[in-house]
Amino acid sequence: MEISFYHPSMAFLAFALLVPFIPRDLWLNKVFRGTLALVAPVLALYSIMTVVPGTYGAIEYLDQALILGRVDKLSIIFGQVFAVIAIIGMIYGMHVEDKGHYVCGSLYVAGGFGCVFAGDLLTVFLFWELMSIGSTFLIWQARTKESVGAGFRYFMYHTVGGLFLLAGLLLKYKATGSFVFDGVDPSAAMYYDWLILIGFCVNAAVVPLHAWLPDAYPRASVAGAVFMCAFTTKTAVYVLCRGFAGWEVLAIAGTCMAIYGVLYACIENNARRILSYHIVSQVGYMVAGIGIGTAMTLNGAVAHAYAHILYKGLLFMGTGCLLYATGTAKLDKLGGLAYKLPWVMVLYMIAALSISGMPGFNGFISKTMTIAGAAEAHRTFLALGMEIAAVGTFISVGIKLPYFAFWGGKREYVGEVKPIPVNMYVGMAICGMLCIAQGLYPEMLYRYLPFAVEHAFEPWHLDKVVASGLLLGFSGLAFYLTRQIITPHAMLNLDFDWFYRFIGRTVMRVFCWPISKVDDIWTEVYRTVGLRSLIEIGDGTSWFDKKGIDTVVDGSAYTVRNIGRAGAKIQTARLQDYLAMAAVLGLGIFALVWYFG
Amino acid sequence: MSQNGLGGLLAKWRDNWKTWRIIFFVVLAVLLVLNVPFVTHHPHFGLDKYPGFFAGFGLIVGLAMVIIMKKIVQPFIARKEDYYGD
Repeated sequence: MEISFYHPSMAFLAFALLVPFIPRDLWLNKVFRGTLALVAPVLALYSIMTVVPGTYGAIEYLDQALILGRVDKLSIIFGQVFAVIAIIGMIYGMHVEDKGHYVCGSLYVAGGFGCVFAGDLLTVFLFWELMSIGSTFLIWQARTKESVGAGFRYFMYHTVGGLFLLAGLLLKYKATGSFVFDGVDPSAAMYYDWLILIGFCVNAAVVPLHAWLPDAYPRASVAGAVFMCAFTTKTAVYVLCRGFAGWEVLAIAGTCMAIYGVLYACIENNARRILSYHIVSQVGYMVAGIGIGTAMTLNGAVAHAYAHILYKGLLFMGTGCLLYATGTAKLDKLGGLAYKLPWVMVLYMIAALSISGMPGFNGFISKTMTIAGAAEAHRTFLALGMEIAAVGTFISVGIKLPYFAFWGGKREYVGEVKPIPVNMYVGMAICGMLCIAQGLYPEMLYRYLPFAVEHAFEPWHLDKVVASGLLLGFSGLAFYLTRQIITPHAMLNLDFDWFYRFIGRTVMRVFCWPISKVDDIWTEVYRTVGLRSLIEIGDGTSWFDKKGIDTVVDGSAYTVRNIGRAGAKIQTARLQDYLAMAAVLGLGIFALVWYFG
Repeated sequence: MSQNGLGGLLAKWRDNWKTWRIIFFVVLAVLLVLNVPFVTHHPHFGLDKYPGFFAGFGLIVGLAMVIIMKKIVQPFIARKEDYYGD
């Protein structure tokens, strides 16, 4: 390997390996723990800010040259924002003492970096699966009953998505003889490209493959959700941008996502699920920008991904504070918290105005770029769809959520409010400052944009500011007029996961029914034939047994039992443990190959 | 500012909500007036060359979205919270 590029994943993997061996006393020291956790993301950020674009770190694996470090403008901007949110997320979660949070979080983040800098499809796949495992465990870190089920569903779903990707890349290898990962011309697309696209679309939460997201994210741990909302969908946006720019199907699907997400957010009660539906919606803008495929919309998609990671992280941090302080994120149970957690409200509102595209915040400079790009490419209906989604975004995240959580119009929350640790405020404050700084100085973000455009986009024109102000102001008026109607209720809204669960149940029945029938018949045969003859044989042998075998057999029985106990300790029958062991084994093998290869 | 100080200030502001409502309406009116000289030079949707387009768009889309989703769609897809048993 060349030494001129330090791969950001390395320190995260090392940290994940190190954490289990740190003595407990030392670990419980918050300063030590927090500092150690920050080493990896700070190193990553330093590496990305100083690296010279090029191709680094090719290794031989399965007779293929795997490229771990493709560093160009596109991977640098994604890597940069990943490093920034990893720093913020680590600060925000510093008070968590559970080692699992740090191990899973680091593996997950390492997977995200690995995908972004991967130069071929096989490397993408390896890190893709690492992300999938890391994030599944991050959901289980919530350690609630509902997070267990949600984690399994999440993992099943991403495994299926991963298999589409694997099938696609293997078939592509068979057809073309290489794992090269570059843009695919939509007019020359083969069936394996579509398989790969489906695999990517699962992670990008493209409707109707999206229902895992609002199912799992609201159930993740408070600190874990900050990582989750940044990495999975945005890695998918990156690979789509890399491989599938200009695919018409993405332009349509993205706009549908943008609208679909806000429609569901409009009727949802759980604050974190509202935000999850808004990930679907916001990623829709990016997917649409990629699908339209002009330099301006691609830049818009990338800029929006950058801004989105920051403000969505802050939104999840803000609602995470509500969950942390009160134990619930359901709007019908909250209310009046602006007076008890005023700074959480202020920081939340920064993010809420950012996602809504309010001038002065970073959503304004990225969202308007995507929409203007769509309009300039004469995709009027797509641009109009995105404007509709913008209205819905402001109504549900910008007004509805904070209005019912922090103010009222209904019964207020009167229970205990747990104090929020300082580090959570620090993490949120950094994120909030970045959101505002980027909004005021768009060059901070625009200078990193990867695609060259003829006319640089300039968001700060008075007519654009007035238009945005009017759009948001009158959406606010619409909320004011319908505030009695939009009051959230404690309800579950059916989504496409109804179909997923239906398919799951049907598959279970198809497999279980014949097995249970065979089992029934066998039990019957055994009872009538086997048992009687066994009793007769047993009577005969009992005499022999009593007379002399006891001593010998008892001795060996004890031995067998002891071996059995040791075996049983490994076989916990918990799928989580097997998954963890498999992941550790896989990582170990990969590390050996990386080192010696 | 301390937690309690800011919380108290916000509580005081809440009691003056009628003033805030007036401010909100005034801001909307000012924006509408500003839209007359500062209307977009590159209309994308045709109608947005007229001042007030985005005001009408935001209001109508917002009202339609809330009413259709809450009153028409949600009754069909809403279930009890423990519908899936998890």
